[in-house]
Amino acid sequence: MSLINEKKDFKIIADLIPANSSVIDVGCNDGSLLEFLKEEKDINGRGMEIDQQKVQLCLSKGISVIEGDADLDLYDYPDNLFDYSILTYTLQATKSPKNVLSELVRISSKAIISFPNFGHWKIATSLLIKRKMPISEKLSYSWHETPNLHFCTINDFIDLCEEAGIRIEKQANLKTNRLNKFYGKNLLNSYFNEVGLFLVSKIKN
Amino acid sequence: MSTACGRCKNAAKEVYKPPNLVVRWFFFGLNKMNENKIVELATEQALVLDCGKSLKSFKTAYTTYGKLNDAKDNAILICHALTGDQYVASNHPITKKEGWWSYIVGPEKPIDTNKFFVVCPNVIGGCMGSTGPKEINSETGKVYGTDFPVITIADMVRAQKLLIDYLGIEKIFCVTGGSMGGMLVLEWLSKFPEMVHSAIPIATATNHSAQNIALNELARQSIMADPNWNSGNYYNSDNKPLKGLSVARMAAHISYLSKDALHSKFGRNLQDKSSLDYSFDADFQIESYLRHQGFTFVDRFDANSYLYITRAMDYFDVSSSNDGSLIESFKNTVSKVLCISFTSDWLYPTSENKKIVKVFNTLGINVSFIEIETDGGHDSFLLEEPKLFEAMQGFIKSTYENL
Repeated sequence: MSLINEKKDFKIIADLIPANSSVIDVGCNDGSLLEFLKEEKDINGRGMEIDQQKVQLCLSKGISVIEGDADLDLYDYPDNLFDYSILTYTLQATKSPKNVLSELVRISSKAIISFPNFGHWKIATSLLIKRKMPISEKLSYSWHETPNLHFCTINDFIDLCEEAGIRIEKQANLKTNRLNKFYGKNLLNSYFNEVGLFLVSKIKN
Repeated sequence: MSTACGRCKNAAKEVYKPPNLVVRWFFFGLNKMNENKIVELATEQALVLDCGKSLKSFKTAYTTYGKLNDAKDNAILICHALTGDQYVASNHPITKKEGWWSYIVGPEKPIDTNKFFVVCPNVIGGCMGSTGPKEINSETGKVYGTDFPVITIADMVRAQKLLIDYLGIEKIFCVTGGSMGGMLVLEWLSKFPEMVHSAIPIATATNHSAQNIALNELARQSIMADPNWNSGNYYNSDNKPLKGLSVARMAAHISYLSKDALHSKFGRNLQDKSSLDYSFDADFQIESYLRHQGFTFVDRFDANSYLYITRAMDYFDVSSSNDGSLIESFKNTVSKVLCISFTSDWLYPTSENKKIVKVFNTLGINVSFIEIETDGGHDSFLLEEPKLFEAMQGFIKSTYENL
């Protein structure tokens, strides 16, 4: 499911993670992000992947991987087992994004979440002008065959975090490749970022 | 026991011999790497069993394939299942069939005998040369029969550990096995964690469920109901409890298969006939198949061994020495582990295997898990299952490369 394949995106995720951290990549695909982080930051990495062919690929690369479903199998991990959890381009394909988010910040100190922003102007224009469900590089499926269940905009995501007691610490701008401190909701953010990439953590009571 | 031939005495000198072991040993057949070997092992103190009794000396029959390298880091220990034996990748001396895991073990296979030194021992309590109920008790000079002490999975692993010491292996690269073999793997991970670099427990459980025990009890009762069983004293008789053992095997065999596999293989097809006989002959193909499974099994297995080994499985609970805490039981485990289950296995289902994964995850152990989709049932680990092949090959190869 993960569309993240560009080294650029990997790099910005690596920048968020201190060396030697323990990391779980949920929806780890063929394990290439974990491999990249191992090389760059010498992380202690684990993967979870629903597609068995990709699980086999991870095994052949020596990556520790659990064949599992983000909606069902995160419950098996104890609190704060990892320093970081990563969920790239998978949130919109989960049955319950809110539960998955809450589980991620429970099992790790911080979570890195990325998703295609449905509020991006190109998508909004496609709907507004063509009256067609948008198909783009980041959203490559036709509406009737997409595995994506829950599309959201960056503003929706910010609202969900607030509702779930999750603090947004940083947001990445993938155009400029920069990590910015998060100052709160604004329209420009949701209009012009094709992808939302956030560093979040649980608000401690 | 000391009937070693001259060639074997010479060979014995070349083998590492731990000082605390009294070792007498001999070969059967030619001095080839993969020939069956039998070694007599005993510590200066006897092997103390969970039941409180002890074995002053015991034999372990085992096969090896490949060579132990100079670094001694390429040993793979294979643990067989209930009715398995040491003939993992060589022809069985009785059935003449190829080894039970020839699909997985051999040159260029996941357990690559060109690369690894593979050891497969027959468990104690077994009937293929290791000390068990059909062997002679050296203290009395008589066959053990049911005087053989009740053994446990932990006892089998203690015995295997002595063999590994004897072979001069300090750290096993990988311990693997399915079903009961998987239980032995878990026991190794729990009791000798520092000796295991990696492990692949397949289609197994941390303990036996009531359903597992019930099925084994059914098998035992069918053996004991055979008048020829004679309380276990049948070794000198012409009449052995073959009917009882055969029925035990038939019952067990059903539990190794899935409903779908039985249906697609046999359905309600009739055996060599076009209509029902209105008798109790084997009308249906499935009846004929099960009878065949039972008949052929008795040629290679001992009824008392079946009682002892099923008992060991029923008693198995890897957490029993830690007041039932699985977390305590694996707290020292540092191995890299791959757990494998099969979708249609209802004897040791995915849920039981996932329990192991959950405990390992909780402890931060380097664990991987894969559930292979197949209608082959519990027996899938013994079948030619390409996804099993791929997963084991990927894991073993990459783990050895990163050693």
